[in-house]
Amino acid sequence: MPLFDFLTNWRTSSKIKSLEAQLRGRPTPQIYLQLADAYKQAGNSHKAAQILKLGASRFPSAPEISRRQAEAEKIERENEKRRLKERIQTHPNQILYARLAELYKADGDIDRTVEIAEAGIKAFPRYGGTYMVLGQVFIDRQDWDKACSYLEKSVELDKYNYMALKLLAQVYMQLGRPADAARRLEDILYFAPGDEAILELLKKAKEAAGESIEPAAKVSSAESSVFPDPRKASASGQRKTITLGRLADQQAGSPTAARDRALNEGVVVIRQVEGVDGVILVDQYGLVVAADLDESIDEGLAGALITNVYRTASGNAAQLGVGVFEEGLIEGETGNVHLAQVGEMILAVFANRKVKMGLLEKSIRDFAMSVIES
Amino acid sequence: MQSILAKLNKTQGVRGSMVVNRDGIVVAADFSVDLDETGIGAVASSILAALEGAVKRIKIGKLKRFVITGNENKVAMVDTGPTILLVILDREANMGLLNVELNEAVAEVAANAKM
Repeated sequence: MPLFDFLTNWRTSSKIKSLEAQLRGRPTPQIYLQLADAYKQAGNSHKAAQILKLGASRFPSAPEISRRQAEAEKIERENEKRRLKERIQTHPNQILYARLAELYKADGDIDRTVEIAEAGIKAFPRYGGTYMVLGQVFIDRQDWDKACSYLEKSVELDKYNYMALKLLAQVYMQLGRPADAARRLEDILYFAPGDEAILELLKKAKEAAGESIEPAAKVSSAESSVFPDPRKASASGQRKTITLGRLADQQAGSPTAARDRALNEGVVVIRQVEGVDGVILVDQYGLVVAADLDESIDEGLAGALITNVYRTASGNAAQLGVGVFEEGLIEGETGNVHLAQVGEMILAVFANRKVKMGLLEKSIRDFAMSVIES
Repeated sequence: MQSILAKLNKTQGVRGSMVVNRDGIVVAADFSVDLDETGIGAVASSILAALEGAVKRIKIGKLKRFVITGNENKVAMVDTGPTILLVILDREANMGLLNVELNEAVAEVAANAKM
């Protein structure tokens, strides 16, 4: 490396360290902007965008940081679109179409959003996430009947999709069907108990429907566990392994099928670590991508519970001062749940007290690396 | 309460700590960095409330603590009974090594809250 480049890199790296130290002390919008510029200068535009996002969440009323963040997000979206299009060509799967359609929607290109979502539905008709994107398009257009039809299809395919259920409830309210809205909101409380936003919407829906504000019996019965007693589960020894392939709008031997096999194998490897009771991998909409769980566990509901915990933790990570969510560990009296962001998916590992944390963490890291590299 | 937090904050890897009640109201806080304590208290209490419902169904016993690791720092939210102890840590902090100090602080916070 020529001496000049070496010195430039050294200066940039020192500047980053100094700005990061200042940020830990007394953060200001100006420091966030300078740090983002330093990362950009170092060739790390992804990190620069991340810094701007954190800055904007901490200082939402600072105009310059908000403007710069919007610009950086647009560039990130363009890069992501390019990556997704390439993946659709080589390793298509349903999540890629839904994600690409969402990115076009975020840019306000509705025609392209609809085109991509329809192509996704044609290729993978049994994936609820893509119908949800179309539902959102028609909500924006205030075409409540069409929005209702797409969202009902989304919920029919994925009964634990938090966002689709919430949007459907809002559409029912617009259509003057508050009792139906209340039922959908109660469905959410089944896997997101105590969700304050949903409880508030439910109260309004019940008032509009002239119903009692008391929670319905279904919500109370949700107190029962989706997981069996771990000791009984281990004794039964019954396990089931599922993968994205079960959605199966794809041909055996295709690149997609090969990737799903790899995901499934990775999940099985983690399950083999001593003390691990179950492993589940869900996409950003809460749909189960791969799992290795005891037979008695409702994997759809387990996925929804995990997605809800993840949503709560990642949505508040910046405000808690930790930055962007990477992993979480829920510790209970008899066991733990490890949550890790793996690309655009969430991995949850259920473990008992026998687990050796070092071994488990290594196997989770290996799995995450293999997914990212694939 | 303040002296318990000050003692905990002397532990290597600990950046600051606070105690909030179940309604998210800050009981005591000791952060060396500039943070929105009221906002953090409210967020911590709502996260733990949501988690407690989920944990009941996941069958891992009563919730003891929730640790979130981000790209900047780590945060541990520990159930002390009547209150929540929230500790902000270095991203690379080893929870295993911090357990002694953390458990000691939890016991002291719980005892103090009962007084």
